[in-house]
Amino acid sequence: MNGPHGDGPHADGPHGDGPPQKPGFAAVDALLASAVEQEPLPPAEQRRALRESLGLSRAQVATALGVGPSTVGGWESGRDPSGEVRGKYAYFLDAARTKLQEAQAAQTRPCVLCGGPATDEVEGFPQHLDPQDCARAAAPAREPEPVRPEPRPEAQAPARTTAPRPTPVRKPASGQPAPEAELIERAVEKALAEHEGDVEEATAQLVRRAIPDAMALLDACRTGGRYDVIAHPWVPDILRKQSSRGSDSIWEARPKWTRTELPPGTHEVTALDINGAYLSALKTHLPIGQLEHSSGFGHDRRRAGVHLITPPDWHHDPYLPNPLGNRDEPGPLWVTEPTLRLLLRLSGPKYGLCEPPEIHESFTSGATENLLEKFRAALRDARDKAIEAEDETTVEYVKAMYSKFVSTMGESHYNRELYRPDWMHLIRSQAFANLWMKALRAHEQGLSVVRVMGTDELHVTGDWRRVFEEGRGVLEVKVKDVYTLGSDDAAGLTEEFPDA
Amino acid sequence: MPEYTLEFGKYGARGIRGSEAVFRRLDDLAGFIVSPVESRRGLLARLHYLTRTDHARAAARAAGLTVTDRTLKAWLDGRQRPTVRNLQRVEDAYRTVRRHNVAQHLLRRLNSRGGTRVELHPLNQSQVPRPRQRVLEYRSLNIRRWDRIVQAWSAGDADALDDAWIDQIVDLGSQWGQYEYVTNVGFAA
Repeated sequence: MNGPHGDGPHADGPHGDGPPQKPGFAAVDALLASAVEQEPLPPAEQRRALRESLGLSRAQVATALGVGPSTVGGWESGRDPSGEVRGKYAYFLDAARTKLQEAQAAQTRPCVLCGGPATDEVEGFPQHLDPQDCARAAAPAREPEPVRPEPRPEAQAPARTTAPRPTPVRKPASGQPAPEAELIERAVEKALAEHEGDVEEATAQLVRRAIPDAMALLDACRTGGRYDVIAHPWVPDILRKQSSRGSDSIWEARPKWTRTELPPGTHEVTALDINGAYLSALKTHLPIGQLEHSSGFGHDRRRAGVHLITPPDWHHDPYLPNPLGNRDEPGPLWVTEPTLRLLLRLSGPKYGLCEPPEIHESFTSGATENLLEKFRAALRDARDKAIEAEDETTVEYVKAMYSKFVSTMGESHYNRELYRPDWMHLIRSQAFANLWMKALRAHEQGLSVVRVMGTDELHVTGDWRRVFEEGRGVLEVKVKDVYTLGSDDAAGLTEEFPDA
Repeated sequence: MPEYTLEFGKYGARGIRGSEAVFRRLDDLAGFIVSPVESRRGLLARLHYLTRTDHARAAARAAGLTVTDRTLKAWLDGRQRPTVRNLQRVEDAYRTVRRHNVAQHLLRRLNSRGGTRVELHPLNQSQVPRPRQRVLEYRSLNIRRWDRIVQAWSAGDADALDDAWIDQIVDLGSQWGQYEYVTNVGFAA
């Protein structure tokens, strides 16, 4: 029994043949007889596939049926329509299936194995990929072929020489996409519709709108959040720019390092590019509220901010860059939380690469790593999905969103909704610290690090594929360039890098 | 009203009046010329702003820049430098005219989409003796109508702005008096 009509008050007792006919039940029987037989509907997962294969949006279908788009979404995720509209919906699905079959039949050619219509080809011969399909095609009353996924690529791919890194477990996407993910999709769809499919124009428009859209996305990600995003706190003078074009007193520890000498012989150097460095750096310990001053209390792991430290001496410069970047002036300097944590980590028993830094004073606030986490996850998922679908418009849009979000969250006039110069410095420093840790990993795995530059540039020699995965995901690296360095002596290095 | 603070800072609390913070913030949003009026570049930029049209000249005169056109021309050509007092007048006139010109656009932005959310960062009591410290929280509230605040600001009337501001923060509830003085008031437009 599948509906309100069939599931009447007498559902517990059969009414057709069992009980003796009493006069009071005649009216009930008449009612049951008058109830319309419900049209059968295909299972929920096929409904969506049918609609999408015709290229119709939910809204279009909803308008034609006279219901809301979310209702159609509900039907596609398992609910059943009832009443008059069910008939309409069944008619639509039936017609859609017929149309689809006609379109498929127009494309199909007879299978070389059974003679039935086949949509797949193997080496130029049309055929069914599954013997069951042959049997089904041979049968006179052919079932509609469900949309089958493509054969899995890894089944044919040659076995890899190295075991792949386990991919991190992410929450499986439930039936409905998250509202923040929909925000990105809808913006892209709208821009493409406005420019009638002109990809370049649409991309340019989306990139122009990236800052307000990123702020809207941040707002959407805040619903249900534990912490409020405090956008305009009082800011200490060290975080204020000295003049409109000047900079403030924070040292972000941007790496700019080139190895001065390599062992003799020629070396093939690979320039690797870290994907989405600033996107990954959105996960960092961010101070939530207003920064408060403290001095001489060491480091509190529950707080984050900026610190005045005397950095430790660095003795590994020939083969590893200084985690502070190439600072010319000696003496104490203001560094951010990620740099301080990196130094503390390197001075710990696990690495033992330097002495611990000496902290003099700090401006900190209670910190959390989760403040931008939902925002980052939404952008990362949109990016991954777009890369998989080769949708360069969305990739560019997402890139503009996170990079402009980071670069304008300080005192910029392009984004007045958020005045957090402290966050801007922390996120940048986190990107640099992430790059530094990648350089350390390469070094520990036996590669020679040749150059570490900016946010995402890492030049190494040796078999880097042992250490890093190649690809476009945020955990993978991209090859920018491959070049040869050195000759019989190490003089080649200085020729290549005049600044070294 | 009993909530008013009588002797602010008696026990070491530090902060500014909320209305003063609003005044500063609106000035930030208005975006004045950054170069100081003492520099030649800053002076010329202000004079150009004040003499671009007849309307601007009239506004400058009304704002207190009562020098002859001959003098203005001499300043613009660089034949003559304003005295220190006149430099101050140029600066004051520039700020007044600029505030007046920006006010209506600012007001429209602040009132649009159901008003603007304002962050109130409580005063700094790190120098207050422990027993006299109070729990002060960060608060935020939405202000729907900014007309009186912006009007008082564009007229440069600190008292009127204070009244308009207090009328708004009374919406914080019975503790609004704790936010009469703050370290910062933040909002975007």
